Amino acid sequence: MANEDKYGVNGASDAEMGNKASLFKDDRAEDIGAIIITVIIVVAIVLLKK
Amino acid sequence: MSSESPGFFRQLPSALPGLVLIIVTMMVIRIWIEPWMAHTKIFGMSKPLTDAFHLNYILLGIISGMFYRNIVFGGKIPDMLVDGFRLSRLMIKVGIILLGSLYTFSAIIKLGFTAIALISAFVVLTVLMVLWLGKAFGLDRSMTAVLANALSICGVSAAVATSPAVEAKASHVAYAIATILGFGVLTMFLSPYIGHELGLTNMQYGAWIGTGILNTGQVLASALAFDPQAGPGTALAVAEVWNVMRVIAIPFAVFAVTFWYWAGKDAVDSKGNRQSLGSLLVEKFPVFVIGFMAMVFLTSMGAFGDVGVESGHSPSAAIMSLRVTMQWIFGFGLVGLGGFIDFDELRQAGGAPFRLGLLVGATKYIVALLIVLLLKQYFV
Repeated sequence: MANEDKYGVNGASDAEMGNKASLFKDDRAEDIGAIIITVIIVVAIVLLKK
Repeated sequence: MSSESPGFFRQLPSALPGLVLIIVTMMVIRIWIEPWMAHTKIFGMSKPLTDAFHLNYILLGIISGMFYRNIVFGGKIPDMLVDGFRLSRLMIKVGIILLGSLYTFSAIIKLGFTAIALISAFVVLTVLMVLWLGKAFGLDRSMTAVLANALSICGVSAAVATSPAVEAKASHVAYAIATILGFGVLTMFLSPYIGHELGLTNMQYGAWIGTGILNTGQVLASALAFDPQAGPGTALAVAEVWNVMRVIAIPFAVFAVTFWYWAGKDAVDSKGNRQSLGSLLVEKFPVFVIGFMAMVFLTSMGAFGDVGVESGHSPSAAIMSLRVTMQWIFGFGLVGLGGFIDFDELRQAGGAPFRLGLLVGATKYIVALLIVLLLKQYFV
């Protein structure tokens, strides 16, 4: 992402907590990952509790 | 795009050591520390850690992460563990989506027009006040954005939900949470006293604290301190339903504040890289809030069985499991988040976020009381 380097300004933890704080390539990918994981959790719970 | 990124699945194995530490930490907190706190006596006081300081797994998780980073690891998470801690935002987003299982649209409709209008006005005006004061206090835009939603909605979850969308650092979230909780402890003790002195009814008191107190847990504690009964029509029931309305505002507020953040950022950073507001909206829209809305919709439609809010029955087994899972995932995410909170950064930020938070929190608390007193006849 074009905005990655700005996290280098204020020290190490900034770099860690910006987009670098994620294992995903960007926020959108992380959002979609979160939705997919939630769907798996919800489906598993609904099936198990039926 | 970051072509150098190795990708989620290829990095996953390297995340295991950190993830194991996070999971074990939260298990220790929830299985041993929380039950111990609930039964302990210190200086003759029964369970002071939970009653007076409101320590719970959320706060203990963040504190543990901070402890690891700043004390155990001397200011930096070791390379071997850092990928596990980088899963924290993912887990927090999953937790926020699952949070939708707590709320239904029908609970809001039951509130009535006056209440919905009042709560919405408070949310909008608080956001605007914080955005304006953030500039006046010279705060960082990310810090201002997190504080805006934290102070306007329901504290911790709103701060956490907003942070990924506005490039907030963990220290921003820590500041917002500390401000909310600090102010909340004060109002928690003060509110029942004021409520009884003014002779407020359960409805009036619930409407006041459901609007004026920032954090969900503290709304609950203040309501029970005013009237220990828990059932339909009690201060607790009223305050929680009013609080639900605020929580439902999370996706809208996250969207609005994200838009404000990126629109301003674009104007500031315009080095030939200008984007239209339309493309900014599409690119920066926090998609995970759609997941939250979908969860509220499914819960409202009864997809997971009885929610247990309006019926007075126990929630269904599926709803209970969703909530327990949500608590655990939030817990894991917040240990990870704590691991990115750097004491040096907190020191650098100074006291401005606290001062802004206290000013806005106090204004909201007092104005909410005045409005409830003015509109007494509507809240009987």
